[in-house]
Amino acid sequence: MGPDSAPGPAAPWRKVLWERQSFPDNYVDERFLGELRRNDGVRQYRYWAVVKEAGVVGQQLSCVAIFIALWLYMEQGLLSPEALLWTSLTVGLLGYALYAALRPRLGSNGEPRTPLADLQTAAIFLSFTFGFSPVLKTLTESVSTDTVYAMSALMLLAHLVSFPYAHPSPTGSLSLNAALFASVCLASRLPGALHTFAMLSCALLMFALWPCLLQSIRDNAPGPSAWLCAGVCLGGVGGLGSRWPGGAALLALALLSVTLLCPLLLVKLQRHKDNIQGPWDEAEIHEDLCHIPY
Amino acid sequence: MDQLRKRAARKPAPEADTAASSGPNGRHSICMVSDFFYPNMGGVESHIYQLSQCLIEKGHKVVIATHAYGERKGVRYLTNGLKVYYLPLQVMYNQSTATTCFHSLPLLRCVFVREGITVVHAHSSFSAMAHDALFHAKTMGLNTVFTDHSLFGFADMSSVLTNKLLTVSLCDTNHIVCVSYTSKENTVLRATLNPEIVSVIPNAVDPTDFTPDPSQRQGDRITIVVISRLVYRKGIDLLGGIIPELCLKHPDLHFLIGGEGPKRIVLEEVREKYQLHDRVRLLGALEHRDVRGVLVQGHIFLNTSLTEAFCMAIVEGASCGLQVVSTRVGGIPEVLPEDLISLCEPNVRSLCAGLESVIAGLRSGAYPSPTAIHARVRHLYTWRNVAERTEKVYDRVAGEEVLPLDRRLLRLREHCGPVAGSIFAFLAVVNFLFLLLLQWLFPDQVMDMAVDASGPRGLWGPPKRDTMSAEEAAAPATKAE
Repeated sequence: MGPDSAPGPAAPWRKVLWERQSFPDNYVDERFLGELRRNDGVRQYRYWAVVKEAGVVGQQLSCVAIFIALWLYMEQGLLSPEALLWTSLTVGLLGYALYAALRPRLGSNGEPRTPLADLQTAAIFLSFTFGFSPVLKTLTESVSTDTVYAMSALMLLAHLVSFPYAHPSPTGSLSLNAALFASVCLASRLPGALHTFAMLSCALLMFALWPCLLQSIRDNAPGPSAWLCAGVCLGGVGGLGSRWPGGAALLALALLSVTLLCPLLLVKLQRHKDNIQGPWDEAEIHEDLCHIPY
Repeated sequence: MDQLRKRAARKPAPEADTAASSGPNGRHSICMVSDFFYPNMGGVESHIYQLSQCLIEKGHKVVIATHAYGERKGVRYLTNGLKVYYLPLQVMYNQSTATTCFHSLPLLRCVFVREGITVVHAHSSFSAMAHDALFHAKTMGLNTVFTDHSLFGFADMSSVLTNKLLTVSLCDTNHIVCVSYTSKENTVLRATLNPEIVSVIPNAVDPTDFTPDPSQRQGDRITIVVISRLVYRKGIDLLGGIIPELCLKHPDLHFLIGGEGPKRIVLEEVREKYQLHDRVRLLGALEHRDVRGVLVQGHIFLNTSLTEAFCMAIVEGASCGLQVVSTRVGGIPEVLPEDLISLCEPNVRSLCAGLESVIAGLRSGAYPSPTAIHARVRHLYTWRNVAERTEKVYDRVAGEEVLPLDRRLLRLREHCGPVAGSIFAFLAVVNFLFLLLLQWLFPDQVMDMAVDASGPRGLWGPPKRDTMSAEEAAAPATKAE
């Protein structure tokens, strides 16, 4: 458009600013938006694959339900602390054996932890819990029971919300702490110090160790792990149902919507996805800039 | 109601007459509105200033409205009688005012009426005041132009919201100006516009400010100059990766980095870790007048931006005769011809490879002299050209009608969706009623008209510029009274 270097009208339009072109400033070329890309790199989800992944969420929900059911049994005196301790010990040993059996196949170079070290850690945890259980038992005596229940509910909810479902091992610190806080609160309302100890060891087993085992099963055997999740869900509904049928019905509804309905919605809504990408997007830095070769 | 609306439509009665009388010579009264103006520094600020100066030179009347900066409030005059209104509006965040759609109406109406404004030109989508001014100008029946200076994404929540606001703000704006073709595509998509009403007018640099001076270069070394704010969007993390890698390979390589920002710590860490204190100099924030003095010391100008609508910095670098290496993002590939710029992908490896080849070219003397580069670049982008093209936009806009309230409401409803459209249609009605109230309290007729101090016909006499044409000087002074 400038007087100098004006190309003839036959010259095609170019997407450059430095050249004065013979087109008006609001000219729209047919290549306008030619570099627009839609839904670049969008993952196509299949229903059953999503259901399988959602199963992890469902089983964590059921874990909390199982824990509450165990606490109800203990509180009403239907389950003795000794029985719970022996069961916990057996389940813990079985789980540890399974975990140890699966570990070599993970291909970690050199065993980072010996069984002796594991035993040592377990001993420290158990002895401290045992030693402190009388203290924990009376910890919330001055607090009203309603407050304790509300606090536990809130903390268990926080545990569920902040749980790292994509990589449950290691358990996220916020979710683990919230769960342990809730279990201390609940355990302090049980009749005796041994009850408290049994309840807390059970909480450690369920909220700290079980996610690690589940993760390693999922890594090694994706097929059975889905059935395992389904089993935990059934156990949760059944366990809660034996003491509190209404709660069990609610849990079953929640599980159905989380594992079946939500994935259905996600898959159905996929076709409405309309991501726009183009040269105007901010570039992303992919490299790890902390490791500059030297 | 109908009568009232008509009154509002032909509301700027006093200047409508003057506009009609000065119609044949195509003189516009333009009000530039943006939150960003001097003393704040940046691309938008200098764009508004330079464009205003060139428009004044062409015989138009220009005033600027911005918010008060600290002690700087009220009316100030700049070179050639360019009047700046620093309005006392509350600043919320990042020098942007709060947008309530209403609180700025009394002040802005006062400016528009007193100055006899015919075209309101708002700048920058980050500026809430610019959007407010567009909103009020449409209510007052003035023509509107908007210049978008930045690029936005579509993926995150904040861009979803701002894009919706932009859609609302631009759906009944007469014309939109973007600074590059990429920026035009981006704006058209964000605001779902008809591309015909979007013009591309690039930014410019003053070539007399950026002249080469090879004597300032040090012969025993190769200096890479980086001038940008040290923020994430300018790719400072990439720069932190490039510096050690290149400094290791080329012992005579030096970096000169001008600018300030939160990412300065990254560069300081790199300098500390690799003991490069004598080779990487961080100059801190630079005044605009000092930029040239830094540029001429270098051989290579490096730009690592991750997103950029136009990038004036690379033009300034090239104008000073430097070899430009830049990331290929946004509108940057459109800015300079291929032989003046090396484009790289936005990662450390590609940028290093690009810089290496330019360094090799410099050592072998393969590049033209700084003076030759300057001679090519100096004609590419000039403010006079920008002003000429913007003038065409004003001419076009002046012939268009401003949507009356009923059609404006319909347009909002059908263009912005049922929810946002209805909300903003309601706000438009409230704004209109507010305007009627103001017009009843302070009628336009009793408002003092401002003395036109700017330009060749201003009361302060013609500016001492040799470019003033005889026709302009002969034109009678149009002083509204």
